[in-house]
Amino acid sequence: MNRRTAHRWLRVLRTPMGRTAAALVLVVLVLAVVGPAPWNARADAVDTANILAGPSAQHWAGTDNLGRDIAFRVLEATRLSVGLALAATAIGVVAGLLLGTAPWLLGRRLGRLVTGAVQIAIAFPGLLLALFFAVVFGVGATGAALAIGLAGAPTFARLVQTLLAGVAARDFVAAARIAGVGRLRILVRHLLPNIAEPLVVNATIGAGGALLAFAGLSFLGLGVQAPSYDWGRLLYDGIGVLYVNPAAAIAPALAVLVAGLALNLLGESVAKGFGMDALVGLPASASPSPAAAAGPAQPAAERPADDAPDDVVLDVRDLTVSFPAAAGPIRPVRGVTFSIRRGEAVGVVGESGSGKSLTALAVSRLVDAAGRVDADRLHLLGTDLREGDSAAQRRLLGSSLAMVFQDPASSFNPTQRIGRQLAETSRHHHGLGRRAAFARAVDRLRAVRITDPDRRARQYPHEFSGGMRQRAMIGMGLMGSPALIVADEPTTALDVTVQRQVLDLLTAIRTSDAVALLLISHDVAVVSEVCDRVLVMYAGRIVEDLPTDRLTTGALHPYTRALTAAVPRMDSPLDRPLPVIPGRPVDPADVPPGCAYAARCPLASQRCRDEDPPLARHPSGHRVACWHARPEPAHAEAVRPASVVEAS
Amino acid sequence: MSELLFEDVTVRYGRLTAVDGVTLRVPAGGVLGLVGESGSGKSTLARAAVGLVPPAGGRILLDGEPVRAHGRHRPLQMVFQDPYSSLDPRMTIGETITEAIPPGMSRAQRRTEVARLLELVHLDPGRASAYPGQLSGGQRQRVALARAIAGRPRVVIADEITSALDVSIQGAILNLVRELQRELGLSILFISHNLAVVRYVADHVAIMLRGRVVEQGPAARVLSEPGHEYTRALLDAVPGHRLTARSAT
Ligand SMILES: Nc1ncnc2c1ncn2[C@@H]1O[C@H](COP(=O)(O)OP(=O)(O)OP(=O)(O)O)[C@@H](O)[C@H]1O
Ligand code: SF4
Ligand SMILES: [Mg+2]
Repeated sequence: MNRRTAHRWLRVLRTPMGRTAAALVLVVLVLAVVGPAPWNARADAVDTANILAGPSAQHWAGTDNLGRDIAFRVLEATRLSVGLALAATAIGVVAGLLLGTAPWLLGRRLGRLVTGAVQIAIAFPGLLLALFFAVVFGVGATGAALAIGLAGAPTFARLVQTLLAGVAARDFVAAARIAGVGRLRILVRHLLPNIAEPLVVNATIGAGGALLAFAGLSFLGLGVQAPSYDWGRLLYDGIGVLYVNPAAAIAPALAVLVAGLALNLLGESVAKGFGMDALVGLPASASPSPAAAAGPAQPAAERPADDAPDDVVLDVRDLTVSFPAAAGPIRPVRGVTFSIRRGEAVGVVGESGSGKSLTALAVSRLVDAAGRVDADRLHLLGTDLREGDSAAQRRLLGSSLAMVFQDPASSFNPTQRIGRQLAETSRHHHGLGRRAAFARAVDRLRAVRITDPDRRARQYPHEFSGGMRQRAMIGMGLMGSPALIVADEPTTALDVTVQRQVLDLLTAIRTSDAVALLLISHDVAVVSEVCDRVLVMYAGRIVEDLPTDRLTTGALHPYTRALTAAVPRMDSPLDRPLPVIPGRPVDPADVPPGCAYAARCPLASQRCRDEDPPLARHPSGHRVACWHARPEPAHAEAVRPASVVEAS
Repeated sequence: MSELLFEDVTVRYGRLTAVDGVTLRVPAGGVLGLVGESGSGKSTLARAAVGLVPPAGGRILLDGEPVRAHGRHRPLQMVFQDPYSSLDPRMTIGETITEAIPPGMSRAQRRTEVARLLELVHLDPGRASAYPGQLSGGQRQRVALARAIAGRPRVVIADEITSALDVSIQGAILNLVRELQRELGLSILFISHNLAVVRYVADHVAIMLRGRVVEQGPAARVLSEPGHEYTRALLDAVPGHRLTARSAT
């Protein structure tokens, strides 16, 4: 179990329901283990003078037809009831796992046979199956445990099959197969660990069900036989004397109810605590709607910003994002300051891990819960986004900010029609009616140049190609009237021809509606096609903020120049290696004291290693963070770093 | 040096024909660049070669023999496009790479090998104990690359391996691909939609459109005198193409 899993279990225990359920289950289990010892004598003590007595101070739930104390008998029966329920669950889980994993292990043809058999078994009601098995295995506790266990197996098997199929389709499983890892080993090492959590949850809920089923079978006389007794058996005896002593029936019924409910609740709260991400494995940040993260409403901070010029859409000052880590917090974004004006297209480039995505996520308030976002200013259209989670803020984010992610496949819900998903956002944020929202969805699909939008709106995401999905995603952002589109690697997963279409579309939207664009990409070429201005990020900082047309010839920062040179072009010489940036990007857990780029920089001096250069305006007009900022020398190789005069 | 030959290969998913009678040759010790849009069947062809999907027709031959897609040592290794799904989130990257190392090494040797491979793809060997979730997208792809090389393959199939990488790494990976190819005499089927990238690594290029190969030949010829209209459209869409055009005017 890695840290993240442990963290999620803890989170479950922190909810009131999770805590209550866990405590109840614990009590029941303790009773089952230690219960019989102290009460055994009292539960079986025959008191002929006190037959079928009602509740009294001495016998809380009265006595049975031999004068035995019912309350103690119920407590004593905990062990057998819970034990049998767990045994039945174990049988069900084992059988279910065998059936569920069989298709994976047996290969396609035999596997299909097993899958078919499981489907048929599922079609029978569970109780019917249990009764059938109970008759087959004979009356008695063992028979009943087998019956209930096997009756639950098909459902569990199907769950296993479904979850397995989901994980097995991922590339890491294919990679293991290509590496020659056997099917059984893949199952044990890759598949089961990735589906364990939902299975455990399901088995817990199943144990609650088994408990009830057992009580039912014993009650019908098919389960535990006298002189043994479980709760169902006690209930059966109690019902017989219902008119003499109702408590004799109520006490075991209550026990069944409490224990069954406790197990169910525990399962449910674990499921909820783990969320869908445990089941589907989607990154949480793939949620397309920033407003989805609802929380307690707080007073709105609707005052427009004091001194921000009117046409500033996004104003960010000294933005920091940090995460807790074993060796103290890491800060992947370390003081980022920039603003975007109406209709302006700003690109963000930088290597992997430089904090581009986190900056975008912080702006749209999608950094995951563990992360901490701090800023001196974080204004969208003059509204402070830093604190609180008011309805006004959510509405603003929902309608004025559109987010486009890299992976168009995971941004849509695969089970809903595209049109409906687009309409949803409108109904949510603008209170449009169903019809009107759908009409707008169709209109927006047309706006993003999807042909035959009427028909397309009624299709599911998988019927769209990657490029169409990405356009639909942009269309979703356009359901409101966004002032800013944040696009994080929107074309990275697309082919060049489609990439060209999406980039053209973004440009068209921007120019026709004066929508500002924050385009994140690792590809300088992509950014330079679309943007007016480029922010170059390195190790969580902006190191240069320059107009696009200066990228190739007017860059002042050595990193910007290296990054531009590293893009292969149609005219790169083939006889020598591509220029690369030596060394590795900085690990956010280990940021050096001076300039973060010093270790890789050909111009680094002692000052660079000691002092971190601030992002300041250079005489040539744009902002740069470098002690030796200067235009590109004519012959890069000929320059000796030592001869450089330090710029201020 | 090994030659990988696709002979009239057809692959179907149900009624859909994803690859339609493709004949391609990855020359021994050479690089064949395969270009085409998504859905054109490039990845399907790759998956057929490594035995992940069965071909409905045709043959796939490695040095004249049918490719062995069973057993512990596989002569073909593949690097996938999506670094988010190609690594098991529950395994450390060290474990993932170790899994692909051919059997017969001691524990200590395996550890050294993992460190060497990580170094090779410019990752800190100290991060062998990290989980994929702790790495950024680019870092994950480098791990996936290390895993493929770990298998000591005769042919490597690289499916869009740089499309999710940032440029600085992309350059290093492309250089690395060329270097490995020369030193180990690897044959590589290099799938990419980026013509500038393909041009840099491949000596032969094949263009795929809707399951068929529409044009193939020496890279220099295909990219400078495209014979098919679709090849011309691809050339036109290369990012930066317009930029060059713009700064020229
Ligand atoms: N939820 C998280 N918990 C801990 N660290 C994180 C988290 N998300 C990101 N990081 C770390 O923050 C740094 C910056 O990540 P970010 O995703 O912003 O990079 P990026 O510039 O978008 O990279 P890429 O080009 O690969 O997408 C990385 O080192 C990453 O490992
Ligand atoms: S400050 Fe020094 S080390 Fe940093 S980029 Fe500038 S020259 Fe290089
Ligand atoms: Mg990113």
